[in-house]
Amino acid sequence: MDALQQLALILNGVTSTITVSIVSFFIGIFVGLPLSFLRVYGTKSAQILIDAFEKFFRGVPELVLLLMFYFGVGLYFPFPFKNVFFTANFVLGLRSAANQSQIFRGAIRGIGDEQMMAAMSLGLSKVKSVLYVMLPQVIIYSTPGLGSEYALLIKDSSYAYLIGVVDIMAYAVWIRKATMDTFTPYVISAFLYILLTFPIATFLDRWGSRKKKQLGLERR
Amino acid sequence: MEFLLRYLWDILQGFIVTVEVTLFGAFAGLALGTLLALGDLYGGRVVSILIGAYTEFFRGSPIIVQLFFFYFSIPSLLETTFDAFAVGLVVFALNSAAYQKGYIKGAIAVISEDQMMAALSLGLSKIKAIFYVILPQALRLVIPAWSNEFCSLTKSTAALLVIGVKDLTSVGLRISSWHFRYVETFLVVAIIYLAWVTVVTKIADEVYERVKIPGIEISA
Repeated sequence: MDALQQLALILNGVTSTITVSIVSFFIGIFVGLPLSFLRVYGTKSAQILIDAFEKFFRGVPELVLLLMFYFGVGLYFPFPFKNVFFTANFVLGLRSAANQSQIFRGAIRGIGDEQMMAAMSLGLSKVKSVLYVMLPQVIIYSTPGLGSEYALLIKDSSYAYLIGVVDIMAYAVWIRKATMDTFTPYVISAFLYILLTFPIATFLDRWGSRKKKQLGLERR
Repeated sequence: MEFLLRYLWDILQGFIVTVEVTLFGAFAGLALGTLLALGDLYGGRVVSILIGAYTEFFRGSPIIVQLFFFYFSIPSLLETTFDAFAVGLVVFALNSAAYQKGYIKGAIAVISEDQMMAALSLGLSKIKAIFYVILPQALRLVIPAWSNEFCSLTKSTAALLVIGVKDLTSVGLRISSWHFRYVETFLVVAIIYLAWVTVVTKIADEVYERVKIPGIEISA
């Protein structure tokens, strides 16, 4: 099997890699964004709970979490945890939520309390000032961080092959086992992963920095 | 959970492997990362491009690919085999160096912005200025980033399982598959990881507080 045939086979895995990373990226946004605001403006008990959640999902290896939820929790709740796709997205999504919550929290801090106070002094309620004043700025402020989070997810989605998601990594390992060619499949997969992470992360970083400058949000 | 007590010795041995790899990776990565940062800043264009390619490979591809690459691909080119544990040590050192290079480069840039010229004007050669003026301050500045990198390094060492190193995660997987008790075992494994990361982060914070120079901070 020559390199081109191998590449054609491995390309089949790209969809899985991209799907897992994008779905967990959006789980991360939709869980992480409310968490970050709750962590900053919420009650004391909410803050403690969120801290514990972040500590757990950021401090424990993704692989341990994947194995625990797929084999362990899946033993008691076969539906939905025995679905590899669900478990991969669940674990990586919550891990990403913990990371993104910190990214957003940094953005909220960076934008500062003045904007919040200004919005409330104009008569907006707390919820409205969060939604209309803080949120749009927070998202722009954190795009560079989100870019590296996306790159991290593309790379970490490779752990999912160990529980059976058929992604780039899985095809590379199959080809190695079938052809005994230990070199080409891994070079191809490394190249594909770099191709998937580098352009988008760089683009988000550039776009975010430019936008931040336009809006006068860069750190003083 | 009592069944885990019988495997205390195995868990401890797995933990020691994880500790060895993380400590070696973090410190060898610091040394190599410093060299890479200096090479990138002062080594000229060609060196800088080479270091950029190195960093892109290690930061852009998943750790599993890197482990496979060094465990299967390179030995097959040289027609030998490598010891899995040694591969683990080398890969995590090289990987961590690529990440730490970025932090150290940033710290050097902060310090040398005005101190480089001051040192040169006092009659120090460029090399002396780097080693006696810039680096001692830059390495102090980089401690918080180093401890973040230590956390993510610890998490990624769980991937050692794929090349058969008996680290904490793979010991956990073996024990739990003998007993079919995945949740309990992996919870204990997760707590050990959390404790290890917390202890090292606390030590790094303490060291940073002791050695930091008032007035020189990364945000300044």
